[in-house]
Amino acid sequence: MITAIAFYLMAAVALVSAVLVVTLRNTVHCALFLGLSLAAVAGVFGTLGADFLFASQILIYVGGIAVLMIFAVMLMGRTADLTLRQVNQEWLAALLVCAITAAGLWRTAKAYLGTAAASAPAPATKALGRLMLGDYVIPFELISLVLLAALLGAVFFTKKEEGGKT
Amino acid sequence: MIEHVWLVPLLPLAASLVILFFGREGEHSKMPYLGIAAIGAGLWISLRIIFDAALGRAVLPYEADWTWYSFAADLGGRPFIFDMRAGVLIDGAAAVMLAVVCLVSLLVQVYSLGYMHGDPRFKRYYAYLSFFTASMLGLVVSNNLIVVFAAWELVGVSSYLLIGFWFEKEAPPYAAKKAFITTKLGDLGFFLALLLTFAYAGTYNLTRLKELVGMGYLPPLALTLIGLGLLSGAAGKSAQAPLFIWLPDAMEGPTPVSALIHAATMVAAGIYLVARCYFVFLASPFAMEAVAWTGLVTAFLAGTMALVPYDIKRVLAFSTVSQLGFMMAALGVGGYTAGLFHLTTHAFFKALLFLCAGSVIHAVHTNDMRSMGGLSKRMPLTFTTMAIGSAALAGIPPFAGFFSKDMILEKVFEHSPAMFALLVLTACLTAFYTFRMLFMTFLGEARDRERVAHAEESGSAMTVPLLILAGLAVVSGWLLQHGHAFASFVGSGAAEAGAHAAETAGSGAHGLNPMVLAVGMTAAAMALIALAYSLYGGPDQSRAGRLKERFLPVFNLLENRWGFDAFFLALVDAADRLAELCRWADTEVIDKIFVDGWGLLTRIAAEISHLFDALFVDQAVDGCGWLSRDVAGRGLRSLVARGQVQEYLLYLAVGVSLFAILR
Amino acid sequence: MTLTLAHYLALGAGLFVIGIFGALTRRSVIGILMSIELMFNAANINLAAFNRFLHPEGVTGQAFALFIMTVAAAEVVVGLALVLAIYRRWDKVYMEKIDILRG
Repeated sequence: MITAIAFYLMAAVALVSAVLVVTLRNTVHCALFLGLSLAAVAGVFGTLGADFLFASQILIYVGGIAVLMIFAVMLMGRTADLTLRQVNQEWLAALLVCAITAAGLWRTAKAYLGTAAASAPAPATKALGRLMLGDYVIPFELISLVLLAALLGAVFFTKKEEGGKT
Repeated sequence: MIEHVWLVPLLPLAASLVILFFGREGEHSKMPYLGIAAIGAGLWISLRIIFDAALGRAVLPYEADWTWYSFAADLGGRPFIFDMRAGVLIDGAAAVMLAVVCLVSLLVQVYSLGYMHGDPRFKRYYAYLSFFTASMLGLVVSNNLIVVFAAWELVGVSSYLLIGFWFEKEAPPYAAKKAFITTKLGDLGFFLALLLTFAYAGTYNLTRLKELVGMGYLPPLALTLIGLGLLSGAAGKSAQAPLFIWLPDAMEGPTPVSALIHAATMVAAGIYLVARCYFVFLASPFAMEAVAWTGLVTAFLAGTMALVPYDIKRVLAFSTVSQLGFMMAALGVGGYTAGLFHLTTHAFFKALLFLCAGSVIHAVHTNDMRSMGGLSKRMPLTFTTMAIGSAALAGIPPFAGFFSKDMILEKVFEHSPAMFALLVLTACLTAFYTFRMLFMTFLGEARDRERVAHAEESGSAMTVPLLILAGLAVVSGWLLQHGHAFASFVGSGAAEAGAHAAETAGSGAHGLNPMVLAVGMTAAAMALIALAYSLYGGPDQSRAGRLKERFLPVFNLLENRWGFDAFFLALVDAADRLAELCRWADTEVIDKIFVDGWGLLTRIAAEISHLFDALFVDQAVDGCGWLSRDVAGRGLRSLVARGQVQEYLLYLAVGVSLFAILR
Repeated sequence: MTLTLAHYLALGAGLFVIGIFGALTRRSVIGILMSIELMFNAANINLAAFNRFLHPEGVTGQAFALFIMTVAAAEVVVGLALVLAIYRRWDKVYMEKIDILRG
């Protein structure tokens, strides 16, 4: 029961703040609400019993990506932007598309209305660790390479060009 | 020793290449000694061959060959392997020629040490000399007519290089070109003969050819044509009428080179070729007769032309042509032995005469006999040796020329008294012009005192070869005549049987008493020498001048070489005119009508094609382009191609939503 | 009132659709990046939920969610670097101004 209450709460927070993320004018607010939404998703993970995922979500998304977004927004921020419309003219078409997509997805989800959890959730961290360094060790190492490449790419792209032509 | 005979041409060849590519150029280059050593080794081998053969330790003819190349062919549906073999064939004549060429070349090279001393291209000169000798030796030893032809052309090339050796001057390059082109004219005949030979006999091997000819395998007409072709080549190389015009001009080369050309390497090649292919001529009486008459006419014409020049080397050059005519005539009447005998003795005394003339020229720095005179006191050694050479040339016993010339005259008399008469006349002319030259040069008073006063006897490098050659000019005739040594040796080749047959067949006329001939010829020669002395020997030469004035037209005719040069120049001129006519026809007629006409037609066709292209094809293409650009392209682009990523994303999302909903 | 798989899928679908809407309509590049993060999260929720409800004996779904998080982190780093580079070079932030693909 507590789990259900937590789920509804978290889901409500996540959805509302997500809507705010895509509709607010002030980008800084958007970024803050993004952090809130991600944190709420972390809570959803918690209701699923995925403890490691919960921690990772907090660390990576809320602590890393959302903060990075805020930094970027502040680097590029212009006060004039605060008054400008942040949504383009195609929002009606986009809304239509989204509605159709949502309907389609709901049709899929409806099939699982009777599927409840068979047992209480068990801590997954140990199993994840074994999996990562066991069966999935090669993808695990590869993903670190991807991260390294991303790091180098980011450094390369943001480096100031020689001669000061910015 | 005879199995090493292939070394004889290859040693000088190697020497020449080494000298040319590795030697250091310079006046004091040591390279000449390499060439001399190579030719000395060749001489040693060829002398050993002669001695071995004479003592019966070696069997002549000797033949050895190696596969050159082979190919598979198909003749009339019958496949076979054609095997081209090249190698050496040494018969008596070849052995003698080897020794003569090596000896003369060796002496000339030694002589050149003195004569060419101080020349800036000393080394190159020796490289050319060695190459020249090597080519000639290759021609002598080879048993394959193709190789003979190649060596033949190499002889031509090296003579070109050597005649034009002083190419800074104006005349030598011209003379070199003249020599090369004129001999090339004769070589055309040789080449055609080669083609005919292969077409009819299918082989170039001399021994095999001889067998085939002996079996009567070749049709007579083909044999005659081959013979005439060979004669044409020989006429070019051996300066026979009418192709002798290059030889007097070849005097522009260094004098030792002239000696080499005249005595051993170049002009001997033609005579040798005829002798080598004698079986062809024996099988074709017409070709034989042509050889005889060519030689005869050449001998006479050149003998008369030698009467008038004042250039000492020109006189010698014409005398060579005349003597070559003697040899040719001898071969033509079946005197195989006589012809080769004269070739051998002539090689010695003509080399001697040229080297003497070189010595004189070296001393007085001019070729003009009018600037000489009275040199006998200044250069006694040269005078003595040259007198010996002249006596040999004039046919005074007991010098070499006497024996060989008598042998020829006997043969010719057996063949035809008319030819004999002409040849006797020529022989008398020989005595006259030879001693005219000798007297003008050495006797009387110095006409150019300054030059003559500075003249000095040449150094030992030049005089020693003179003495050796003089010795040979004295004794070679007698030695070789003695006991028919030469005849039996040269005749040991397979040619003798056929030659004998021809000689006996040809001698329908009465034989001539050799003693009568010898005495008569000697007396005539002596008389003409006396005449020459009376005209040119004394200090006063006014009588000669008066004689010249009186017979001025004859003199002029002879000076102009019976108009042969003019004839060839006119030939060239005519060829030029013909070429001009052809050019005119080409530009004015063929170009105008055919080329330009075709051009016009093509242009008209092109215009039509262009119109069609522009009206229909291009319009169709443009229409397609217009359709896709203006109708489809612009419309579509205004719809999508605005560079708006989010629009693309929208289309994607539409697709996704359709997937999501339509299941 | 027990929680079923459908609840979680509905939550994921909602987040996903909101993310699509944001990606389609936000004018600033950073806004689009944020929307994409929302879509990633929706996918992660689905993965974790399928793991929990259909295959509770293993943790493969969670492992995939972890991989996706890492990829998302890499993506956002590179994306932000590109955005900064574009901003510095052309002084542009809004998508409709960035139209160098225009034909």
